[in-house]
Amino acid sequence: MHEFSLVESIVDSLLTMQQDAGWRRIVQVQLRVGVLRQVFPDILSFAFETVTRGTPLEGTKLVVEEVPLAFRCLDCGTTWGDEGGTCPCCGSIQRETLAGMELIIQSLEVEEPPS
Amino acid sequence: MNKIVTIQQSIMAEDEKFADAIRADNGKRGLLMVNLIGSPGCGKTTLLEKTAEARRLSFAVIEGDLATSRDAERLAKHDIPVVQVNTHGGCHLEANVVQKAMEALPLDTLDVLFVENVGNLVCPAEFDLGEDFKVALLSTPEGADKPLKYPYLFTSSEVILLTKADLLPYLNFDMDMFTRDVAHLNPSAKTVHVDSLSGRGLDEWLAILEERVREKKAHAL
Repeated sequence: MHEFSLVESIVDSLLTMQQDAGWRRIVQVQLRVGVLRQVFPDILSFAFETVTRGTPLEGTKLVVEEVPLAFRCLDCGTTWGDEGGTCPCCGSIQRETLAGMELIIQSLEVEEPPS
Repeated sequence: MNKIVTIQQSIMAEDEKFADAIRADNGKRGLLMVNLIGSPGCGKTTLLEKTAEARRLSFAVIEGDLATSRDAERLAKHDIPVVQVNTHGGCHLEANVVQKAMEALPLDTLDVLFVENVGNLVCPAEFDLGEDFKVALLSTPEGADKPLKYPYLFTSSEVILLTKADLLPYLNFDMDMFTRDVAHLNPSAKTVHVDSLSGRGLDEWLAILEERVREKKAHAL
């Protein structure tokens, strides 16, 4: 149930941002979530709806973009995806993870107060 | 008028601040911090008891459990400083809780600070506590398919301990699958087969810790 912990963090951040920027409403939140993070988008959306009920974020839409895995070989520079393993080019075990671990609030669609 | 605002901020930004502060403090102190993660009953507390009996390292433990202080009582018998944190249903520890628990420990006298996380292969792996590295524990009765089923833990751990290795003759544990999957998920991980009760593998486990303690202390100066 770590989706609820994540949602609490997201909601705290969003409420702070909204207060600081003076937006009238946050219409939509775009998240980027790496496939390795074991976050279930449906549970995340359910948790978001539950936690935001009765707050200024009630009705805000949550959009989750899944980020696939990507590795880069530290020896030969080859990049590859799927679930990891050794470098498909040179067989090296020295690799860095380029993508797949994200847990990011990417962007917001906000309604500004009338000027 | 609606507009799009780019944020690109980590969801766990608040908690990461606590984790970064812990890491910076331990860096100055030269204190190695290790986050132990595995299922309930996989042998986390027993491993710590045996690590204490070896008397090769001075360490303390932050114990995360849903309820009871049983694990803390077991460790206190070995004269290990322990702080018990009850999460009351929470499935993992978070850095702000760990930072508070650390205040009660004699950090300047230690080689290693272990966090024994709540028994669970999922959520504890997600939360950075400010540790130097994670250790994934898998006991042989749980089955060889677990690394691929819980890939985040096994990808993000520097050390993987296969515990209860003495039970292998009685189980249909598929060692080829385990070895292949771990190599696939995390080719540079150190994997050690451990049987805490007989002491098999403990020397290798302690040697890994001792090497990292030396590195950590060297960098502190």
